[in-house]
Amino acid sequence: MRTRWSRGEPDVSVVIPVVERHGDLAQLYGEFAAELARLGLTAEFIFVVDEHLRGAVPALREIQALAEQPIDVVLLGGPFGESAALTTGFNRARAERIVTLASYFQVEPVGLGAALQALDEGADLVAGRRHPRIDSPFNRLQTRLFHGIVHQLTHTGFHDLSCGFKVMRRRVARELSLYGGLHRFIPLLALHRGFAVREIPLPQRREDCATRYFGTPTYVGRLLDILNVFFLTRFPRTPLRFFGLLGAGLFSLGFAIDLVAVLEKVFFATGLSDRAVLLLGVLLMVLGVQTLSLGLIGEIIIFTHARHVRDYRIAEVIRNPPRPDLAPVPQAPGLDDTGMGGALQAS
Amino acid sequence: MDVTIVVPLYNEEESVEVLYREVCAAAGRLERSWELLLVDDGSTDGTAGKLREICALDPRVRALRFRRNYGQTAALQAGFDHAEGKIVITLDGDLQNDPGDFGLLLDTLDQGYDVVSGWRRDRKDRLLSRRVPSVAANWLIGALTGVRIHDNGCTLKAYRAEVVKRARLYAEMHRFLTPMMSLSGSRWHEVAVNHRPRRFGRSKYGISRIWKVFLDLLTVKMLLGFTLRPAKWFAALAVPFLIGTLLAFAASVYIDLAVAPGHRYPLVFPAITLLFAFAFTHLLIVGLFSELVVRLGDFRPGETAIPSPSEGRP
Repeated sequence: MRTRWSRGEPDVSVVIPVVERHGDLAQLYGEFAAELARLGLTAEFIFVVDEHLRGAVPALREIQALAEQPIDVVLLGGPFGESAALTTGFNRARAERIVTLASYFQVEPVGLGAALQALDEGADLVAGRRHPRIDSPFNRLQTRLFHGIVHQLTHTGFHDLSCGFKVMRRRVARELSLYGGLHRFIPLLALHRGFAVREIPLPQRREDCATRYFGTPTYVGRLLDILNVFFLTRFPRTPLRFFGLLGAGLFSLGFAIDLVAVLEKVFFATGLSDRAVLLLGVLLMVLGVQTLSLGLIGEIIIFTHARHVRDYRIAEVIRNPPRPDLAPVPQAPGLDDTGMGGALQAS
Repeated sequence: MDVTIVVPLYNEEESVEVLYREVCAAAGRLERSWELLLVDDGSTDGTAGKLREICALDPRVRALRFRRNYGQTAALQAGFDHAEGKIVITLDGDLQNDPGDFGLLLDTLDQGYDVVSGWRRDRKDRLLSRRVPSVAANWLIGALTGVRIHDNGCTLKAYRAEVVKRARLYAEMHRFLTPMMSLSGSRWHEVAVNHRPRRFGRSKYGISRIWKVFLDLLTVKMLLGFTLRPAKWFAALAVPFLIGTLLAFAASVYIDLAVAPGHRYPLVFPAITLLFAFAFTHLLIVGLFSELVVRLGDFRPGETAIPSPSEGRP
């Protein structure tokens, strides 16, 4: 039994980014390793540690020494954040199925079996959702606000994007292309890429229930992340539709303000030189044209690189006789049965 | 392989078998080797199952199934990418195009064109919601791009594969494919083709797409000019701001002279002068920057221009 893993690839790769706070990693590892063993699956664990948490490494070395399965400990060379840590983990993963976990206690490991089964049933990515929530109303309010905004902007129905628990096929992980704050939107990005995504409820851990208040920069950062993902998924090839409408709107507003001011001067002899609102109008017009010009630059960038842009993703090539290298991919169940009917439309 | 026939399909469960039979009959009369490439653009009905049945029986037919709905541009692009024929014919999956027109398209293409576009002269669609907007859009496309073509929206077209494989296709470019290819050096021609009323299903388009078409058209127009001469066009965009600067400056000087010594001097016009000057400078800088962007990209005018079959041979 001991040598089973060393021969081939394991059944599951577990990627754990250690980038913010972390809990008792030995206990976390122990619980999930036990659950995987109970399911009869071989596994490898990949811990990716951000530089400023290098204090966690000795504990991980201890786990490594005691464990009977492969444990990878990767120390990043800088404070690169969760997206980089996940990408590093994905690149090292050898198994076809990848599990990602938060580095602290979020959910009970009991949902692992159900999540892996959903993958077998045709889903490409299964996102965990802490449900029912047992933490404070303030935490839940934050979650609801965040997802309310995400829902408004992207028309997707995810309930708990901040849950680190995800199970996905390796090709999903390889296609995500994460950076910056995008790791928070993995299910959404996978959906946009045309993968079948499901959300499953997992019991929340008691350790996850402390009321969390983040500083203003964090909240502002989250809002920017949402805007970013909205822009990237809705206007990936048509920046001028976004910047152009915004710019034209600003310009028209400024123009209207100045027109009113000038008309008042002509008909009611209101002195123009005393009116600060004239300045506001000019400012808006300038801002509008600048926004538009950036949209144009965006269009030019896409157009001059378009010969190599391929937006479509082929699920299957059907031909007679079927070629073995293009084996059919199992048909995924519809998204609607998970309440995520509003998949992103091609823009 | 001489001809690849590409058909984008989106929820055409009922049409696909009839389409297959019609294409087979029409292509069989061409006396050229051909293949049929069906592109399922993320259909949610039984289209994929029908495609499997057809492909299992007929080795001349291949099908691509998309992971989700990506739109017609992507479906056509996938078709071009996977086409093995020297000529690619595209047609709609809703049976409104007539495969009987293949021969006419191919004969015209052989006269030395890169693109032959179908023109649904006698269109069998609703007047107000489809035909009137279409006439307006085509007129606008012609006026703005200089490529005066009657029917940009007709999917029934024939292309020389080596040309269309190099076309820049993304977003919803399929509506401007002929003008775009023409402007990058391709020879095009238009022939009147048959158009039939819809038999199954319903149209996937409505009048709501008009504003999108209009925005895309403006984009295409600006894109072509700006990509060819970025600095020049950004400078042109900056000219109104130069005029604004000069006017506001004149107003400042006038007020300066008019205000009696010791009175308050209003700062609104000098501030406007600075703002306009700032916008003017900014646009010039953006123009210079976009020269760099174009230089780094791979677009060069005339890129799809290739010698026609007769010219190219010694």
